[in-house]
Amino acid sequence: MLEYGFMRNAIFAVLIITPLFGMLGTTIISRKMAFFSDALGHSALTGIAVGIVFGISDTNLSMVLFAAAFALLLNYISSRSGTSADTIISVFSSCSVAVGLAILSRGGNFSRYSSLLVGDILSISQREILYLLVLFVVTFVFYVVCFNRLSAAGIHRTLAASRQIPVSLLENLFAVVTALIVTLSIKWVGILIINALLILPAAASRNISENLREYHFFSVLFSVFSGITGLFVSYYINVATGPAIVIVASVLYFATYLYGRMNQR
Amino acid sequence: MKQKYYFTAALLCAVSLCAWLFVTVYNNSHKESKREQITVVTSFYPVYIAALNVARDCGGIEVFNLSEPQTGCLHDFQLTPEDMKLISRADVFLVNGGGMESFLGDVTEQYPDLALFETTEGLRMPDENAHVWMSVSRYRGQVNFIAERLCEISPEHAQELQANARAYDSKLAELEAQQEEILEKAKGRKIISFHDAYAYVADDYGLVTEYSINLDEERQTGAKEAADVLSAVRDGETNLIFAEEQYGRELAETVEKEADVNVYYLDTLVRGADEKDSYLDGMQKNINILKTAFGV
Repeated sequence: MLEYGFMRNAIFAVLIITPLFGMLGTTIISRKMAFFSDALGHSALTGIAVGIVFGISDTNLSMVLFAAAFALLLNYISSRSGTSADTIISVFSSCSVAVGLAILSRGGNFSRYSSLLVGDILSISQREILYLLVLFVVTFVFYVVCFNRLSAAGIHRTLAASRQIPVSLLENLFAVVTALIVTLSIKWVGILIINALLILPAAASRNISENLREYHFFSVLFSVFSGITGLFVSYYINVATGPAIVIVASVLYFATYLYGRMNQR
Repeated sequence: MKQKYYFTAALLCAVSLCAWLFVTVYNNSHKESKREQITVVTSFYPVYIAALNVARDCGGIEVFNLSEPQTGCLHDFQLTPEDMKLISRADVFLVNGGGMESFLGDVTEQYPDLALFETTEGLRMPDENAHVWMSVSRYRGQVNFIAERLCEISPEHAQELQANARAYDSKLAELEAQQEEILEKAKGRKIISFHDAYAYVADDYGLVTEYSINLDEERQTGAKEAADVLSAVRDGETNLIFAEEQYGRELAETVEKEADVNVYYLDTLVRGADEKDSYLDGMQKNINILKTAFGV
């Protein structure tokens, strides 16, 4: 399978992106942001639509810009508003999907974009791999520098703020990093299931781990494993790659769930 | 504590093993047929059927078609990894061309050395409409083009290939002769078309397209379009609508209820049975329908 250029690209992409999914997933789950990342995925549709309206030929760029703006705005409003976060996220998510669908379906042409829903592995080009590599470094540095403070803020916001931790800044940075990762992988994973890749490995890891170190270790391990296995299976039986990866990750989740339950007794 | 790591290791091994078993079982049941010397890959149905007829009974030439979509036209089709594998071992890749295959960019990027031919090369395509095969005379051009290219690639089979092409061409010529009969009656008649492919029907029979929309997959008809069709029926002194069975039926039935029109469902021949004569059969059916429509 390595003799094909597109498969080499896909393997690179999986190897770069899945550890990131594993790492970010843990924080997303601890901070109860699963719905937030889902909304980010949906905003990719609008990002593409906005890019088309403004004539930006590189849809990656418009998606990334839009998703980052979307994430910041969402954070801002949900910290100011009295309404609960999931309502705000739902409002944002449906609005952006509606705008995206309205623009992309103009003239009845939505089918041209339907590959975004399930993902297309052939869409990974060398340029995208370069983007992913840069992103990998950025995220890694962000995590090394900020992780302790970010998880302190996640445990108790006010307490963290009282210890001179810039809580809002960290939250915004985290949201932007998540937005970048989601949008840069959406074309080959697909909008419908991108969130599963962020959530499932971390959730599976949470089933069996007892401390933060284990939590991260298992999350990254499960994420990389699902990525590689899913890619391998999808290649040989000719199904879309994103769903195959998610199926493997789901199997891991249920197995660890059962294991966790049995050990509780 | 340790137990957890053993469990995880065992789990990952078990899942890998399952995946491997699954893939092995799947691939055994989908064994590829044995390789022939020359592999011809076609991009979609009309080209495939033409190549199949030209390369018929030529030992050593195998014709494959891409896993084309089950719905709609080819415009939005994406290649699957399976298709990429097929193309990678193709000696020649025959496509329709004229913008029908939007994925060609991907292919040429991955395989710059691939022998890729657009079978519509040199054919007149009004309005850059690529549904060329809907015109029998142009389809004959495509068949000849394919025969020429295959002869170049496999000179040792040239005689067989040319004989096959001539045999197929004479059947197509019979269809064209039937078209002439209809042409006399149909010339100048106004029609409403629900698919771009019928532009070639109009061209072949000298019809005047009063109003046309292109209905295909995932294309929702707006209320305004239905109204436009109705006003075209009222103003344009036409009561003939050509629609496609799968995507045009809904709108056609709506229009039929509202106005006095005759709807004829023509096959766009974008897909069909994997048989040598299916283009001939499909086109014959279309011709029969048109004979009824114009009272021949």
